[in-house]
Amino acid sequence: MENAIQVSGLRKAFDQQVAIEDVSFHVKKGEIFGLLGPSGSGKTTTIKILTGELEQTTGDVCVLDTDASSFDSTQFKSKIGILSDNSALYERLTVYDNLKLFCKLYGAPLERIDVILDDVNLKNDRNKVVSKLSKGMKQRILLAKALVHQPDLVFLDEPTSALDPGNVIHIHRGLQKLNEAGTTIFLTTHDMEEATKLCDRVAFLDNGTIQELGNPDELRFKYSSHDFHIETTTNEKFVLGNDSKNADQIRDLIAAGKVKSIQSDKPTLGDVFLKLTGKELV
Amino acid sequence: MNTQRIGAIFEKDLKEFRKNMMLLMMPVIPIFLAFMYSRMGEGELPIFLLYLIVGATYSAVTTSGMMTMMAEENEKKTLRGLIQSPASLADILIGKSLVVGLFTLVSLIISLAILGNDTFLAVQPIIGLILLFLFFLLLGIGIGLFTKSVANTSAYIMPVMFLFGFTPMIEFLNLGEDSIAIKIADYFPIMQMIDMHETNSWTAIGIVAIWVIAAAIFTFICLKKVSTDN
Repeated sequence: MENAIQVSGLRKAFDQQVAIEDVSFHVKKGEIFGLLGPSGSGKTTTIKILTGELEQTTGDVCVLDTDASSFDSTQFKSKIGILSDNSALYERLTVYDNLKLFCKLYGAPLERIDVILDDVNLKNDRNKVVSKLSKGMKQRILLAKALVHQPDLVFLDEPTSALDPGNVIHIHRGLQKLNEAGTTIFLTTHDMEEATKLCDRVAFLDNGTIQELGNPDELRFKYSSHDFHIETTTNEKFVLGNDSKNADQIRDLIAAGKVKSIQSDKPTLGDVFLKLTGKELV
Repeated sequence: MNTQRIGAIFEKDLKEFRKNMMLLMMPVIPIFLAFMYSRMGEGELPIFLLYLIVGATYSAVTTSGMMTMMAEENEKKTLRGLIQSPASLADILIGKSLVVGLFTLVSLIISLAILGNDTFLAVQPIIGLILLFLFFLLLGIGIGLFTKSVANTSAYIMPVMFLFGFTPMIEFLNLGEDSIAIKIADYFPIMQMIDMHETNSWTAIGIVAIWVIAAAIFTFICLKKVSTDN
């Protein structure tokens, strides 16, 4: 499978302060890739380099077969969508007028506006002035703005922050639908459930370097203690390690009908990050 | 350059302009001034008074309008969205300039019509007026990007109005003809245009063109700064 993003040996320093160091990864076309890390870990710097908002100090960056030196081209910009902390809306205009502007700038048909508004659950608010809307609604319009031209690759920096759970589910469905249609998604998030649910692969970024990279389920398995948490019919709870001696004991308990529940240890991505870095993912 | 993108930005900015009371009031200033001057007495108005109207229009409508629009885009981070879109910097600036140009033209035509003067209906003055428009427009773009917030633009518009828009008023300060301030002011764009009317010299047009180039360089530097986070 071809790569949508190819990064190798990426380094960015602001004067003497190094923001990211020796970062290498690739994102396959059609993949949902998550970059996870605490505040100040270098996620936004990475996205800014990948979208041409920042120039790297050293290293190679190639996005949609375009070298970083050509990120300013119209052709490249037409193929990507961006939702970042630098994204904003025209507050005096209506939701429809905001999206109409970007439809025209990207050469997308105006019929896309209603489709994308439906995807972000704002179809009934198309004629409302943006300044009158809640923060969560504005976030959804920003997402619609990033997706209105059906980009090949979309960069989403914390796409569901400030959204209520109902709308998060709606947005997740929209993103999955978009991905099924072939769009590659590169997202950063603090929400481990979101990363587990959406991402094909994730990378943990801490202090500007990648600590681990892989499929969420595989990473959770890799960093699992493989212990079994058992609850008996007498409500007794205990943990047994994964070895042959304990396997016999578990088999005997099951055979005697004494097991109420048995669960294998499966850490969350947040637990994995904590194990790797000693830090909480917040 | 892409006409569809220019049209989209023009349409958006026209809607925003119409919803911004401060911007809407600015074109009224030169019209009001022209009305006052037209009541000053019989006979043709002196050329410097006509250029006060031109200066007021360009500084209050062109520079102030453009400055406010750019500062607002910069402050609210919407400019980054435009830069990240396929629209080129030229598309963005032309689209915005067309809106400001439209309001400037309407305000200038009404003001000059009130004065009933045909001084500007010749090739040289028209070229001069176009160059002056470009100078004030570029100054507005540059300062708008430089100030970064709409609140700060008010601190810049007054010096621009008095230095470049109302330059002929320096005569009223009674500084004396040998004053260094008068000698420097003589090279300012509006003063050069007045000189052009008196001497029919193309040198004055050349000096105004140099002012346009200087404003363009200033604007280019400011644009480069806001295009990326480097």
